[in-house]
Amino acid sequence: MKKKVLSALLSVAMVATLLVGCGGSKEEAAAPAPEATTEAPAEEEAAAPEATGEALHFEIVSKGLQHEYWQAVKNGCESKAQELGATINFVGPASESDIQPQVDMLNAAVEANPTAIGLAALSTEACMDAIIEAQSQNIPIVGFDSGVPGAPEGAILANAATDNYNAGVMAAVEVFNLIKDKLAAGAVIGVMCQDATGESLINRGLGFIDKMAELVAAEGLTVTVQGNDKYVSDSKVEVTEGADVTLEVKVPASVDNTASANDATALLQTPGIIAIYGSNEFSANNLVTADGNIGKLGKEVVGAGFDSGETIIAAVRDGRLAGAITQAPVAMGEKLIEMLYAAANGETVADVDTGCQWYNAENIDNPEICQNLYGYTAAE
Amino acid sequence: MAGNDKKSKNFLVSKIGGQQLIVLGVIVALFAFFCIKSDIFRSYTTILSMLDFSYFVAFMAIGVTFALITGGNDLSIGTGMVCYGIIGGFFVTKLGLPVTVGFVITILCGVLMGCFNGFLVAILELPPFIATLSTMMIARGLGSIVTGGSSITWPADAWFKNIFKISIGEAKYPLGFVWVVLAVTIMTIFLRHTKPGRYIIAIGSNKEATRLSGVNVIKWHMLAYIICGMFTGFAGVAYSATFPTIAAGSGAGLELDAICAAIIGGTSMYGGSGTIFGTLLGVYVMSILKTGLPLIGLQANWQQIITGIVLLVAVFIDVVRGKKN
Repeated sequence: MKKKVLSALLSVAMVATLLVGCGGSKEEAAAPAPEATTEAPAEEEAAAPEATGEALHFEIVSKGLQHEYWQAVKNGCESKAQELGATINFVGPASESDIQPQVDMLNAAVEANPTAIGLAALSTEACMDAIIEAQSQNIPIVGFDSGVPGAPEGAILANAATDNYNAGVMAAVEVFNLIKDKLAAGAVIGVMCQDATGESLINRGLGFIDKMAELVAAEGLTVTVQGNDKYVSDSKVEVTEGADVTLEVKVPASVDNTASANDATALLQTPGIIAIYGSNEFSANNLVTADGNIGKLGKEVVGAGFDSGETIIAAVRDGRLAGAITQAPVAMGEKLIEMLYAAANGETVADVDTGCQWYNAENIDNPEICQNLYGYTAAE
Repeated sequence: MAGNDKKSKNFLVSKIGGQQLIVLGVIVALFAFFCIKSDIFRSYTTILSMLDFSYFVAFMAIGVTFALITGGNDLSIGTGMVCYGIIGGFFVTKLGLPVTVGFVITILCGVLMGCFNGFLVAILELPPFIATLSTMMIARGLGSIVTGGSSITWPADAWFKNIFKISIGEAKYPLGFVWVVLAVTIMTIFLRHTKPGRYIIAIGSNKEATRLSGVNVIKWHMLAYIICGMFTGFAGVAYSATFPTIAAGSGAGLELDAICAAIIGGTSMYGGSGTIFGTLLGVYVMSILKTGLPLIGLQANWQQIITGIVLLVAVFIDVVRGKKN
């Protein structure tokens, strides 16, 4: 008897658990719905101007919609489109792993028969059929953000993207200006990268390493690089024994906060350390985390980050990080629309670097900067 | 004299257990090795960081020890821990609820997932590996859905951050270690000296025999997974306290650190034996390796190879013991 009551109770608990689970999935089902609804009227809009053959309509398929970064791209697109008198429909899957939903969105975009399409593909291969279909209908495609890597020649007219190597160079110049006086034999500069596989991350690291080495050498000091093999071999810096200044590159074996923070702990306590650069939000966050116990950032050690998010922004505000690089998603959206507009008018378009910005405690509240920062809240 | 030595050794072995003694020796040896090899390892701040990053692993490992003792496993703890931390943080940062509510929600999510895992394993009798592999994926997706794919940053001044590390003046103290030791003590008493604890061990050694002797195996089998879930909830809190920003969809692979720790600490993969104290020792073997290896200039991939070898040795000892028994 007792057993039965217990199992009944347990069953109830289980059903409750299941219901909780279902509740979650309902939310999930509800989440993409607004996207679908925004898409539908846009398609109608698209059909109408086509009939008159005058108004311009652009379909833009991003890698996601939820992240504030994409919202900023969208804002840039919308304001520019309004300025140029075009209509746009900006869509994106729920997460950056939703390859199939993105393909469906791209197919819908092609079917809407727009003047031109903007695309940041999650998987070039998966998008190929739709790209060919667009080509056959003479709909020009312009890539943005990471673009459409590996697409066959001619399929994509041009890309509006951040040049990550240049972004790394910018970080090196800014950090160098802050450590110039501290440079001496035995100095160490740390570089933290999340991985050695992603093209954009590698370029952010290499841009920093190459430029920093160049600037240090211009001061009459010898410089070497050590640490992760991929970065060491791909950089332009020659590995030399007993150089004055060492660039130490740390890459964790996996994207694991503890591993990255341990790297930062080691770097922060390395004798001679004068600066550390974290080349994305993950690395910069863990640099800040590790410093929680050490307290050297903003004092003996100059910290620099990349991207934004609440942790980095707070650290930039209180000076633990001297500053960070942000991409310019709003400008990216604007450039993308300009390129689509040019392509629609039959002009030739070329790749555009949408640029990046160095932000620090002084300029963080500048509207030109903070419109590009996610996790940003105005200072109290 | 020799006889006396042997006697005292036997006493130690029976009190702490053979493998634990070996592991304790390994910890001392590793600690000494890194202290000699690296000035930085010796510093208080490094030890403090090492402890900071050990609490969430310790809580996960204590929990998963229960699942392992029943002869099962729980792979959902890594992504689960992150998911619960994200959900709790979501209620606080996006819905404006008090930190305490978020704290409770984090733990509650763990308990609920523990119930669900227990339901799958104990009642539906699904293989634990597959059942919890599924819930691992569910947890990973759920966290991302709740926040819409973006990361969560708990308020920097959330009170529970101070229960793991308190600052008195300039100095910081690893208070979290006290909670970990407390949890180990309580769960050791539970496992060794209470009926439910002994039933859980019995289920792991021979479920059928336990059932035939009149024990409600379904109930106690489930309890093991609920305990595991609850501790994963605690781990979610500790993780949120340690890392300011939690990225949605992360956490895969962290469960392996905890499972490794339990196995290094002498918990048998075949079920039926294991101690919470051993698990704690295993956690610190992992922590010392993770902290020390980068400090002696070893590249990241070599660190993984060494950790892998340590695990292999631990499993080998387990297998040898299994054959003996």
